[in-house]
Amino acid sequence: MDEILTGKKVNRHPKRKKKQPITMTLIKNQKQLIWMSVPLLLYIILFAYVPVWGWTMAFQDYKPAKAFGEQTWVGLKHFEFLFTDDNFLRVLRNTLAMGLINLILGFVTAIVLALLLNEIKNVMWKRTVQTISYLPHFLSWIIVTGIVATSLSVNDGIINIVLMKLNLIDSPILWLSEGKYFWGIVGASNVWKEVGWSTIIYLAAIASIDPALYEAAEIDGANRYRKMFNVTLPGIKATIVILLIMSIGHVLDVGFEVPYLLGNGLVMDWSETIDIFVLKYGIAQGNYSLATAGGIFKTVVSVTLLLLANWTSKRLGEERLL
Amino acid sequence: MGGKSISKFKLSLIAVLSLSFALAGCGGNNSSNTAKGENKPAETTAATAAGTEDNKIEPFEVSIFLGEAGQQPTPDNKIYKMIKEKTGASFNFEFLAGDLNQKLGVMIAGSDYPDLMTSNTKLTGAGAFIPLEDLIEEHAPNLKAHYADYWNMMKDPNDGHIYTLPNYGAYNGKMSTTYYSGPAFWIQKAILKDAGYPTVKTLDEYFDLIVKYKEKNPTIDGTPTIGFEILNNDWRNWGLFNAPQHLIGHPNDGGVVVNDNVAEIFADKDYAKQYYKKLNEMNQLGIIDQETFVQNYDQYLAKLSSGAVLGMFDQHWNFGKAEDSLTTQKKDERTYVGLPLVFDTNTKDYYLDRPALNLNNGFGITVNAKDPVKIIKLMDTLIQEDWQKILTWGIEGEDYQVENGRFIRNQEQRDNAVDATWKLGNKAEAWYATAPKLQGYFKDGNSTDAAAQPEEYKAGLKAYDKEILDAYGFNSYVDFFSEPEPNPVAYPAWSIDLVEGSDAKISETKLNELRTKYLPKAILASPSDFDKVWNDFVGEIGKVNVKAYEDRINEQLKWRFDTWSVK
Repeated sequence: MDEILTGKKVNRHPKRKKKQPITMTLIKNQKQLIWMSVPLLLYIILFAYVPVWGWTMAFQDYKPAKAFGEQTWVGLKHFEFLFTDDNFLRVLRNTLAMGLINLILGFVTAIVLALLLNEIKNVMWKRTVQTISYLPHFLSWIIVTGIVATSLSVNDGIINIVLMKLNLIDSPILWLSEGKYFWGIVGASNVWKEVGWSTIIYLAAIASIDPALYEAAEIDGANRYRKMFNVTLPGIKATIVILLIMSIGHVLDVGFEVPYLLGNGLVMDWSETIDIFVLKYGIAQGNYSLATAGGIFKTVVSVTLLLLANWTSKRLGEERLL
Repeated sequence: MGGKSISKFKLSLIAVLSLSFALAGCGGNNSSNTAKGENKPAETTAATAAGTEDNKIEPFEVSIFLGEAGQQPTPDNKIYKMIKEKTGASFNFEFLAGDLNQKLGVMIAGSDYPDLMTSNTKLTGAGAFIPLEDLIEEHAPNLKAHYADYWNMMKDPNDGHIYTLPNYGAYNGKMSTTYYSGPAFWIQKAILKDAGYPTVKTLDEYFDLIVKYKEKNPTIDGTPTIGFEILNNDWRNWGLFNAPQHLIGHPNDGGVVVNDNVAEIFADKDYAKQYYKKLNEMNQLGIIDQETFVQNYDQYLAKLSSGAVLGMFDQHWNFGKAEDSLTTQKKDERTYVGLPLVFDTNTKDYYLDRPALNLNNGFGITVNAKDPVKIIKLMDTLIQEDWQKILTWGIEGEDYQVENGRFIRNQEQRDNAVDATWKLGNKAEAWYATAPKLQGYFKDGNSTDAAAQPEEYKAGLKAYDKEILDAYGFNSYVDFFSEPEPNPVAYPAWSIDLVEGSDAKISETKLNELRTKYLPKAILASPSDFDKVWNDFVGEIGKVNVKAYEDRINEQLKWRFDTWSVK
């Protein structure tokens, strides 16, 4: 059946079996399965599709007390407000920048940590490191930002103290007052909080790699680094790509909490994200329509990014989500 | 039983399960809420009212949402028990957990309201409250009398109905106070003593004192001394914004200065520039905390609590917790005195104002309330003097004594009155704080506020405070301030509802944003750059639709002037 032998093109992706026609007997045979899927279906419809109806708010001057029929329709007014506001471009830039920084930093650090942890042979030590690194995941952001702000303080912040002792800086730096540091601080806080947690899934993927591959590599004379690059990394490539595609869909979700809680007047130009903008001009003012318009914009961009990533991945012959 | 019937049974089981899942999903919010609401108070009332149930008094329950975090009173709370016995009413409080705007949004979206809620323009805008004027006319003569002078002020400017009952600011007779809770330039008591009790009137004198004291005391209890703090965090932004209007002798009108009922913003005016320029100079001298614009409210309180902060511009109630902490640490000399500073001695200070009706606060009865008449009757009962005495002073013989007609407490009772745990079991604070209340004096001449009773205030003073007050010849710290003139009719402008989502509101948000961004920049800039930053700031303000903001305020001031003057 090989191309070389037969000279015929082989279909490497054989078509699925012909679809079985849906008949009454089939439905009858699978009625338990069908019934079992009903609650899930209802759940999805109720919580994922019905709320989309609320998007209509974005095209109205929504007033909570009125019925749907009594709302005034205003077309794209709220979207216009969004896109014509001077701040919006800046806010979009900040959101994308912080999102990408988080995405890339988060990915690289998690994979590196997983690779390194995998090399540790002392089980106790490995467990300890893993536990310590994922514990911050369970703290809420309000606590984490408190810790971050305290560590960055000029008076007795650990970061400034360490840098001073190492003679890297002459005087304490007021980290949170400079816009240029802000994205970095947000990225670093994210890594600190989430790196251990994100590592878990890679460790699981690494664990499923066939040990025979390592043995073979060893026989071929591969050292630790070779094994890491030529066995472990390709082994978890599929996981990496899938997770990457999924996270790209969440790039715009960087958030609210970190920039909001760490931000201040001095770094406003770098710290305001779409969510904060929407809170300020939408929810805080009772302008739910504008808030919805902001939400729709985010969703559309996210879905586009997701599809784009998926498509690229397919083109590159990699795994894909859809 | 054959296999077939079993499978049928399984099938129906699955069907029932799936249905119940779906239903549970749908109604989660509503059903669980009401279920909770009905269970808890039923238990507590059963426990408290056992045996004393009077047949004539019908027990009923009022569910209340309070827009602030708080603690539930204990189930056997003395005062609530008494209210329950005498009126039949029991309360089911829900305190705010998390973000108010978010919570209100959810409530509004589901029209899911308890009987009573704290006032909020969002709720009024969403039609959550019922008009109260007819109810009060018909069923509540005491409330009507209580609010008589304020009747017109309470009307919603948008449609002329009364939706909420203000909790503070309706005075009967003279106002009495020994505690100033408003804005001022605060300074540590130790500095005044150290400088020999000078009279501080101007901003320059104030900063001179701080500079000198800081030179003399580079550290306080081991912590580096901080000269001046400015808090500008989230909605607590007045520390940075509001000082200029006071420095030119105006009361607190929020973002505007009102002259002859005409309001204009002051952020970009020359006197504002003068103030921020002074701060810029002080920053050069290292007086202003480096981190002042980066810190959040908790960090600010922590710094104040350390006793190392010499002064700040703030409202007293905003840093009360820090002062409490200083008192607990026995650092009485590190607590603060409020000073009414002005630019020059020709200006009369106007920090202390006659409390205006607090329009954005108090209770409103919601459209969901089952029996508004009962609720308004309950409020009418509780506004009467005998009940008010119970709600403020407590129970005679237990919480206070009467000597020659004067209410007085002993030390134990005083300590109780500030003990948070004791209060949960013996005070009806959650209700009293937001309910309509008598303020000023009772008919017998006793103060409605125990802490403001002169004898009580004197007895509660610390030795250090006595020393300072004696040196100045004052009765209380309020005497540092000039006696306030009667408020202008439309005062204060900060309580004007800008209407959610309107151009005025958007402009206000933008102005706040610009001030948050540029004022710190200007203060921290090197002196040569100050003018440049300031000009940028003024230029940016020029781009904002300030007119929409001022117009809305002026229109409302005029409305208030026209409606409120007529009595």
